[in-house]
Amino acid sequence: MSYKVTEENNISTVFLDGEIDMDVTEKAKEVIMPLIEAKKEVHLNLKDVQYMDSSGISVLIESHQKATELGTKVTLKEISKSVLKVIMMAKLEQILNLD
Amino acid sequence: MSQSQIINLDEKRDFEVNSSNLKHVRSFCREVFEKLNINQELKDELVLAIAEAAQNIVKHAYNNEETEDKMEIKISVSNGHLEIGFFDKGRPVEKDKIRHRKIDDIKPGGLGTFFIQQIMDAVVFKEGEKPWINHLILSKNLNN
Repeated sequence: MSYKVTEENNISTVFLDGEIDMDVTEKAKEVIMPLIEAKKEVHLNLKDVQYMDSSGISVLIESHQKATELGTKVTLKEISKSVLKVIMMAKLEQILNLD
Repeated sequence: MSQSQIINLDEKRDFEVNSSNLKHVRSFCREVFEKLNINQELKDELVLAIAEAAQNIVKHAYNNEETEDKMEIKISVSNGHLEIGFFDKGRPVEKDKIRHRKIDDIKPGGLGTFFIQQIMDAVVFKEGEKPWINHLILSKNLNN
């Protein structure tokens, strides 16, 4: 997994790239969580994520819950077909902010 | 899809038990499923189920601790019936304690087993024959 972070109008966008499994979830959290803890609005761009397993879904849930707790928001952008399928399998499409 | 379109096969591979090998587990599965005349969506689901089961071995049978042990994954297809065997030498699985979290209880974790059960027709834990401790069998009828 690789990533890039951009900032625009007080929104941090994290572009994730590659496959997100148990092996890289800590790395993903190290990128995403400090942005949420800084109470920034965070967009997670998932167009280049070709695979996500339950560990990756846990990162999305944890990010969403932390943001809600801190009064900010995480939005999932340009979700790849394969990731959307896993989100729907977990029945999270009504819970997470999908755009 | 009729079973005449699905070839029979029998392939197995060993993997060191650690999270960095999960990508190799997925590569192995993708290689094997490329040989089968099944749609891409089903291939992706099967790869996810297998990777989740392998992840459970790393997380639960070995508590994500360093080990030199290997696990073996065996994929067999016979007359359209897919059977995937997982063999490991970790902590014995307590079958009665395996359950996914309630799906409407939104919290991180506990989804892997849910995904496996959603994708596969049957999930069976057996005691492994020596030298193995655990033997998990996932199966699915590919003829449907």
